[in-house]
Amino acid sequence: MFKQFTESINGTQVYLLFSLAIFLVFFIVVSVLLLRLRKQHIDHMSDLPLEDGNGESLNPYQL
Amino acid sequence: MQPEKFYYDNKIVRNFGIATVIWGIIGMTVGLIVAIQLYSPGMNMGNQYTTFGRIRPLHTNAVIFAFVGNAIFMGVYYSLQRLLKARMFSDLLSNIHFWGWQLIIVSAVITLPLGLTTSHEYAELEWPIDIAITLIWVIFGINMFGTIFKRRERHLYVAIWFYIATFVTIAVLHIVNSFELPVSAFKSYMVYAGVQDALVQWWYGHNAVAFFLTTPYLGMMYYFLPKMANRPIYSYKLSILHFWALIFIYIWAGPHHLLYTTLPGWAQSLGIAFSIMLIAPSWGGMINGLLTLRGAWDKVRDDVILKFMVVGLTAYGMATFEGPMLSLKQVNAIGHFTDWIIAHVHVGALGWNGFLTFAILYWLIPRIYKTQLYSKKMASFHFWIGTLGILFYAVPMYWAGFTQGLMLKEFTPEGILKYPNFLESTLRIIPMHVMRSVGGGFYLLGVIVMAYNLVRTAMQGKLVANEAAQAMPLEPLPKAAKEGTWHRTLERKPIQLMIAALIVILIGTFVELMPTLTISSNIPTIAAVKPYTPLELQGRDIYIREGCSNCHSQTVRPFRSETERYGEYSKAGEFVYDHPFLWGSKRTGPDLAREGGKYGNAWHYNHLMDPRLMSPGSIMPNYDWLLTQTLDTTTTVAKINAMRTLGVPYAAGYEKIANRDLDKQAKEIAANLYTDHIKIKNDKEVIAIIAYLQRLGTDIKANKTASK
Repeated sequence: MFKQFTESINGTQVYLLFSLAIFLVFFIVVSVLLLRLRKQHIDHMSDLPLEDGNGESLNPYQL
Repeated sequence: MQPEKFYYDNKIVRNFGIATVIWGIIGMTVGLIVAIQLYSPGMNMGNQYTTFGRIRPLHTNAVIFAFVGNAIFMGVYYSLQRLLKARMFSDLLSNIHFWGWQLIIVSAVITLPLGLTTSHEYAELEWPIDIAITLIWVIFGINMFGTIFKRRERHLYVAIWFYIATFVTIAVLHIVNSFELPVSAFKSYMVYAGVQDALVQWWYGHNAVAFFLTTPYLGMMYYFLPKMANRPIYSYKLSILHFWALIFIYIWAGPHHLLYTTLPGWAQSLGIAFSIMLIAPSWGGMINGLLTLRGAWDKVRDDVILKFMVVGLTAYGMATFEGPMLSLKQVNAIGHFTDWIIAHVHVGALGWNGFLTFAILYWLIPRIYKTQLYSKKMASFHFWIGTLGILFYAVPMYWAGFTQGLMLKEFTPEGILKYPNFLESTLRIIPMHVMRSVGGGFYLLGVIVMAYNLVRTAMQGKLVANEAAQAMPLEPLPKAAKEGTWHRTLERKPIQLMIAALIVILIGTFVELMPTLTISSNIPTIAAVKPYTPLELQGRDIYIREGCSNCHSQTVRPFRSETERYGEYSKAGEFVYDHPFLWGSKRTGPDLAREGGKYGNAWHYNHLMDPRLMSPGSIMPNYDWLLTQTLDTTTTVAKINAMRTLGVPYAAGYEKIANRDLDKQAKEIAANLYTDHIKIKNDKEVIAIIAYLQRLGTDIKANKTASK
């Protein structure tokens, strides 16, 4: 069934391979950058939404 | 060093919140009306301003740009200030942004029912409003970047990247899809024609979904979900990967809206390939959201806000899996032009955008009013009626889509169409349309209950218009800290980040758009295809004004079921004078690409007056005002001139005699109608639209020799 899907796309190989190649390169570059980030930095970034700059949350209310 | 004291602007957040709720109710109410119109033509209310063709765009514009748009600004203005530890750059700009945006919406509410439209889906607003949108968008950008520049937090959290990508990409999309040549104060022609116009429109249309309905909401998810669940996002690394992969891939997938059309095959293939790849980043985002709730699933049981988030994220996952599936050609062949697409977009719109918006409103309003939510029970009711509403909406629409898609393709063993009359399929799915409107009604009811609940919440509290906060000011970076990875550096450089995002989205844009826009061999011309006559051109503009393309496509796909039903499949060269293209995206009625000559003039006259005279059971509204309204021929000169500027080969000086030709053709049609005992003056609008309908698709019948 899968073959049927790919065969119906004109110029299958060229475009599938081309687009896959572009994306793979892009993906690998981003992944390498990510792996080089320090854990400390990641933790700091993850905590950003949880700090409002006004001490405790304005409203202790939890629904 | 002393921490600095400052105040968050909550008033602007509140204002956008109010606008979100009000426009949400209005937009969804219009949606409910158009849904009912599809089985009860009486709901068109017998006047031209409230017919389906004119107010369906009002519904889409209201929910996308008014409801979702205001919700985006509400979420951005709340989270941006807190993530950057800074008040918005300028209160004045915030207010101009707010009121400017509302004014744009009001102008849409006025112009769309008047029939002032470009006919480009989700970009219907005419050129003066396009300019206003550009200005207000720039003001939003200045305000956002101004805030970023005076921030007290060095690194930009991933939510802000999504906001930046939204800002820059929507700017590019809006500008490129608004290249129009004004003909008058509220009428313009698209610069592109036919296939090129279609490609630009669906590059826009697809990415408006990506960068208006998706990226800002992902940004909001990355901020508000950790707040709601009181724990950090599952994986910050995944969020970065998700960000770059999503904006890179999304921009390529537009052509999946044009499968089996005359768009060059390679562009279609590219669109399909990237649509499939899009599953990965979309699901990466959904999984990152859902896994943030790991260890907190017990909270989901009692916290209605988290319930909204979970269903919203699940709907996002379903819609982003379904999208790629629908872009496979075999699936698209059945699903395209049917209610399946309507179901697909509403799973996204009602589930993802709607439920996230509701969750954020329930979370945010009590906080800025320093109180508790007025009624948890009502919020819980809203959740259940809303979820039920989505199900009652989507399931019948899927059913209707499959039914119609398959009926229209069915042949008898003898090899003839089993349902040669399109109307048979329309009538078959009416019960599903009734159920859909019940689902929509449930959903709207939930929103109204929410509005009441939020108003009562606000009444019992008091708005903290300026919320005190403090943070350390940013110091210049010490030398040692400047080293670090390239990406970490990028996280503190907003302009570089914007440029990087811009480059990423322009790669796909250029590869895909440029060849079709610039290489003429991609659009083989056909010698027999001639420009429209002045009367046909005027008729075409009435077709656009009435929004006929909301229900009737103008492109015959190369399937036996379609060539049997409609005639020869469409060729790219047939549309070279179509500024704008009118292929449509939905067949609520039959395709009209080969309508010319199928019926007599009298048939069209009677059918426009009351469709049920010619097609019993038809759900098309009456267009009786076309019989009484006089055609405005004062615009002919400007229109011919504009078309010539755009490259349509009208002879020099033709505009001076165009109205003479127009009168001559109109008299012929009126005389022909007279032979069928229809007395009508030749200056009525119906004559022009009949002329246009009779021209559709006839050029290549007259002369089949094609030249390259």
